Amino acid sequence: MKLLTHNLLSSHVPGLRPGGGFPLRIELGHPSELPPEPSPGYEADEEFLRRLHHVLLEVEVLEGSLQCPDSGRRFPISRGVPNLLLTEDEA
Amino acid sequence: VGCDRSKNLVDICGEKHFQAFVCDALSVPIRSGSCDACISIAVIHHFSTAERRLATIRELARLLRPGGTALIYVWAMEQEYKNQKSKYLKEKNGSKIKDKEINTGTAQTALSDQGPDNSSQDSACSDQLLNDFKDESCGAKPVADLRLPVHTNRTSFHSQDLLVPWHLKGGTKKKEESVDTGLVPGVSKELQELSPVFHRYYHVFCEGELEAVCRSLDCVRVQKSYYDQGNWCVILEKL
Repeated sequence: MKLLTHNLLSSHVPGLRPGGGFPLRIELGHPSELPPEPSPGYEADEEFLRRLHHVLLEVEVLEGSLQCPDSGRRFPISRGVPNLLLTEDEA
Repeated sequence: VGCDRSKNLVDICGEKHFQAFVCDALSVPIRSGSCDACISIAVIHHFSTAERRLATIRELARLLRPGGTALIYVWAMEQEYKNQKSKYLKEKNGSKIKDKEINTGTAQTALSDQGPDNSSQDSACSDQLLNDFKDESCGAKPVADLRLPVHTNRTSFHSQDLLVPWHLKGGTKKKEESVDTGLVPGVSKELQELSPVFHRYYHVFCEGELEAVCRSLDCVRVQKSYYDQGNWCVILEKL
């Protein structure tokens, strides 16, 4: 799963407040290399830009999970494929 | 980015390095209004009630930004149109299967003739589907005869709601031109003894039916409506 794909995805657990399913929190085995917010003047920060480019265009999540921000429900990612099927009871 | 309800099929997309995820067409986990264009090819005809079919189109429309467009393809009841047979009909290759319509009740008998291994599997599939279909029709328009006919591949449709056999043939699936995968025409009796048969539900659409369903939604406009090789097609625009 590329970050660009993740940007489109939203949790569809029923009963969430509007916008409550986005963005899904990406959970990997290891911590992110990027800070939570870009610091002012990031456009000039080569090191930061290099890491940003890497995450945007060179990283694909193969194993991990996506967590719904409001409900906490986790959706697994395996072999690069996120599974966002709800169970019969949830839907 | 693509999606399907079958995890195994989506895994194949992943192996080929396409961006894809697993989900149900009735509840697509994509932010509203985030797509410039969507396609739904040979999907909606698998939903067993008019209400569910409408719901999938409504869900598709939700994903589109205003001005975005959707392309929908569904299997047509009319496999011969304007005196032209569809590719699906044309590729009938002298199958040994009898060209007659059989109800799910008798389908078990007919298919069990073709090999001992098939019969129990077929009855399990057909019975389960029949029970699901019965549940679906509760509260909907009462159906006089709940038995779904089992289609003979590569022939015309005699009913809008039917089960189409799918033969698993040694692990490789033949791609079908009329936008439907998984059908293997004219499987010989010998091969049927080795490979299981699954029955897949289809609601094939009549001329104008898909367009009418789309027109019942206020949020989209039908831009184009046409017939293509055994399929009814629409292009919708999100208003």
